[in-house]
Amino acid sequence: MSLIDWATGLHGYLFIGAMLFVLGIIGILSRKNAIGILLGIELVLNAAGINFVAFSKYRTAMVEGQVVTLFIILIAAAEAAVALAIILRFYRLKQTIDAGEANLLRN
Amino acid sequence: MKLVLFLSELLTVASAFVVALHPNVLYASIFLLFTFLGVAVMFVFAGADFIAGAQVVVYVGGVTILILFAIMLTQWLYQMRLRDVGNKLVVPIAVIGLGLVPFLYKGLHQLADFVSKAPPPNLAAFSGSPKTTAIGEALLSSYLLPFEGITILLLGALVGAVWLARPK
Repeated sequence: MSLIDWATGLHGYLFIGAMLFVLGIIGILSRKNAIGILLGIELVLNAAGINFVAFSKYRTAMVEGQVVTLFIILIAAAEAAVALAIILRFYRLKQTIDAGEANLLRN
Repeated sequence: MKLVLFLSELLTVASAFVVALHPNVLYASIFLLFTFLGVAVMFVFAGADFIAGAQVVVYVGGVTILILFAIMLTQWLYQMRLRDVGNKLVVPIAVIGLGLVPFLYKGLHQLADFVSKAPPPNLAAFSGSPKTTAIGEALLSSYLLPFEGITILLLGALVGAVWLARPK
């Protein structure tokens, strides 16, 4: 039961946040698919939100951290919309969404 | 109640592993949905009921559906090439990254102690009370400028997304 007590307190939240952050970075670095990179970015943003909510409960007991998490969620939504529009545009141009093919500015 | 939170944390991490490492992006994005739902349950247990609702509405109902839509539109309809091209670096990146988790957690732990060593006295009252009123008052008083900035950002992002995805 001590594992459950540890995992459901502040440290559980911090550990889950760290895991989601690292897994998101792994997803960003290991994929070539542009949509896969976007999935990793969403994981990283959610990890930041978990940390804000956990600190706002366990260290301040005020609502400020939750307001910041709300801003993070809104920015992630805007970012996903723009990124997917860029991906669709890129697919129409190159018939692929391999991020390694995005080299138009290199020449 | 603690068991529910523990199980949802397990669900979150397990489906995050699938999201990060599955070679098929379609499955990865479907498991992203479970990650978001698990994080929403964690938000509920942290006393963030309004944030949990926003998480479900925006992420589960919006972002995941948008990503699935983009996957179907770019790959499914034209060619069945859903798999990610083979990346030989996956295993080393995963090993090094997961090895960094304890250090990151340790740093966050020290940050928690730096903020304050003792939990606040009104912890139980904070978890039990609804937060919608407090968040609304904070948004329209001390966070008014960021709030207006977010509205402009969302407007610009959506107009820009429509402009980028326009037909030729």
